[in-house]
Amino acid sequence: MYFLTALACTIIAGVLFFFFRDRKGLHLDFLTITYGAATLMWLVDCIATAIEGEPFLSFDDPQDGWIALWTLLGGIGLWLLVSFIMNNGKKETPKE
Amino acid sequence: MACFLVSTAAAIGVTIAQKVTAKKEEKKAEVAKQDIKEYKFGSETKWSTRLKYLATTLWTGSFLLAGEHVLHGEVAPFPPFLTAAADPADASEMLHEMGTVGVAMLALLVVAWGAGCFIWDLIKYRKHKKQEKLQLNKEI
Repeated sequence: MYFLTALACTIIAGVLFFFFRDRKGLHLDFLTITYGAATLMWLVDCIATAIEGEPFLSFDDPQDGWIALWTLLGGIGLWLLVSFIMNNGKKETPKE
Repeated sequence: MACFLVSTAAAIGVTIAQKVTAKKEEKKAEVAKQDIKEYKFGSETKWSTRLKYLATTLWTGSFLLAGEHVLHGEVAPFPPFLTAAADPADASEMLHEMGTVGVAMLALLVVAWGAGCFIWDLIKYRKHKKQEKLQLNKEI
């Protein structure tokens, strides 16, 4: 379930990055990379699970919902922290 | 079990490499400030910038996966920190998973980063060629 959550987040962040690509100050590339990296890592995890003979995607784990929530909030939290709080001194570069 | 540790270790290495490359590039830029360089494919983006993107990819992916492992109870806040490390049988299984799934994750991230860099360079190259053509047409 968290793989699908990460995938959905990657698509949404990627679309936002595409439409706001001129606004570097939003750091949407960072958000897209965050979710994209997690999606690829969980994709490998899902493939490894499928090779072992278990289903590619399973929704039985009671922790699934919490992990999906962590994926969403963790990514947004990291984006806010790294792009805006730690990067506070840097101003948006004007559009050429 | 601890597959994210492979990417975390790689992220540490890439971050160090990025800092060293950035310093070297700064020194190089100071020396060759007045030289007019010929445009080459991929020359527009610095290696330190590319490595920064790779480091970001590895750190952020590992961070989200670490959270998943904490919620699954595979990572504990007390030594040995990894619950599988307490039992030798589980530890060997964990190392096997790190060697297979962990390395595969790292490889996929590096391939994705390489593909991203190539596409970015291609876009920049095409833009440059287009501008060159326009300038040539203007001169004629």
